[in-house]
Amino acid sequence: MNNSLNSSVPTDREVILGILNNSEDILNKLYKGYFAMILQFILNNNGNEDDAKDVYQEAIIILYNKIKEGNFELSSKLKTYIYSVCRRIWLKKLSQNSKKAGNITDYEDVFAVEEDVDYHEEKDLQFVKMQSALDHLGEPCKTIIQDFYIQNLSMQDICEKFGYTNTDNAKTQKYKCLQRLKKIFFQP
Amino acid sequence: MRNDLELDAIIEDYLLGKLNPQETEAFEQLRRNDAAVDHKVVSHKVFLQSMKDFAVQLRLKEQLNSIHSEIDVEKLASELRPHPSRIVKMWRTNKAAISIAASFVLLSLVSIYSLQHNSQQSDRLVQMRLEVNNIKKSQSNLIRNIKTSHPQNNQNPNPVNPGNFGGTGFAISSNGYILTNLHVINGADSVYIQNSKGDSFKVKTVYSDTQYDIAILKINDKNFDNLSALPYTIKRNGTGVGENVYTLGYPKDDAVLGDGYISSKNGFTGDTTQYQVSIPVNPGNSGGPLLDNNGNLVGVISAKNLADGAAFAIKSKYILEAMRAIPQDSLGKKLTVNRKSSLAGLKRTKQIEKLQDYVFMIKAY
Repeated sequence: MNNSLNSSVPTDREVILGILNNSEDILNKLYKGYFAMILQFILNNNGNEDDAKDVYQEAIIILYNKIKEGNFELSSKLKTYIYSVCRRIWLKKLSQNSKKAGNITDYEDVFAVEEDVDYHEEKDLQFVKMQSALDHLGEPCKTIIQDFYIQNLSMQDICEKFGYTNTDNAKTQKYKCLQRLKKIFFQP
Repeated sequence: MRNDLELDAIIEDYLLGKLNPQETEAFEQLRRNDAAVDHKVVSHKVFLQSMKDFAVQLRLKEQLNSIHSEIDVEKLASELRPHPSRIVKMWRTNKAAISIAASFVLLSLVSIYSLQHNSQQSDRLVQMRLEVNNIKKSQSNLIRNIKTSHPQNNQNPNPVNPGNFGGTGFAISSNGYILTNLHVINGADSVYIQNSKGDSFKVKTVYSDTQYDIAILKINDKNFDNLSALPYTIKRNGTGVGENVYTLGYPKDDAVLGDGYISSKNGFTGDTTQYQVSIPVNPGNSGGPLLDNNGNLVGVISAKNLADGAAFAIKSKYILEAMRAIPQDSLGKKLTVNRKSSLAGLKRTKQIEKLQDYVFMIKAY
């Protein structure tokens, strides 16, 4: 399975073009192509499968966003980039959990990606804040907001889903929820 | 409260571009006048953007999770987990280093092999040197041993008389200049030439070139009358492989025709001053002219590889060089290069008929 996965790894160029064109197939191949490498790295450095999944997904998201932003310069192989990002993230996590990170066992070349990882963490902080704000909102506000802003449902759909008598009522409810959410979100 | 909600709705519609131009105009007016409204617009914009990013992020994560669920993590993990065996572990962690080490070993093996190969080549070179010696022998063999009572000259060296040799030479001008191989006349006390009619003339060496194995002789005999104009020209350029060539020589007392073709553009062990010629030559052919069918002189027969019977001929270019190398004022008679061939288009028998007056047997005493 491993081999069959690796054999279909798309070229670096294909990955970049694929992501820019929102190709799910390319994302799929990219993900499967390098997961084994990261799994091996994490497993051999005091981590488990779930750590590997978290770290790897974070790295893929960093790569994805970087490509989407259009300022990704292919100065090295994607493989090296992904490995370096994962390594950086994992080292941080290890030191946060005060596990020993003295001698990391490396499997690939590494180059500096601190900037990318830090930038990502900053953004990630915002998402965590948004998530916690949503969690604090409580039902049904959370679902209404999620349905409207994340699932992109229309007010009509939401109205039917929650059994409001008309869309105006639903809209009013949504704006009430939104106001509260904004309050929580912008809380220092 | 109610107003706030309406304001929020308008702001959102404004940011999403859902207002009509009139409403937009009115709202922008309001925004300019009321700093609090403007502040709300900006903060809502930031919020919407964060929300949008958040949505994208969530969707991407979902996608990744669904991809992840397709991977058989258990199986992969069991393959990649730190192996209890230290050797496997070492192999995995030091894969790169081990492969580099292995490639070094391979490289050194290859270089050792190639060194051996090289030494084999040098062996062959030594052997070739032996062959060179053979060739020297064969060259001296190509010089006909006139005294047939001493067939093995090397085995019966005569200290008083170093041996009487014969070879072939040919005229390079009508006024009595003869060209032959240096090794034919080298070390001889006196040299005579004999033409096809049996007349002998005494000659003296006016030029010798050890590098190209060329000697130019001059007939120094008052019985000699000038020859008529040379029938052949000396070819300036190289001749291609496969060109039909023939030679006339004196391996015995009568002229013998040898017919063949240029078989390689370089001579023995890649000697660029010679051609390899597939042509039957025998002792006595040394110094014989090698001509193509158009009556151009393309070379001088000089040696033969005893191992495979290939003959070698000095390229005609070096004849011209030798002729030019003679200081003209040291010559009694001028040496000029013939530029017109009268052999072209003639049948081989006619060519030989014309040619034979210009090819001489060389006798060195």
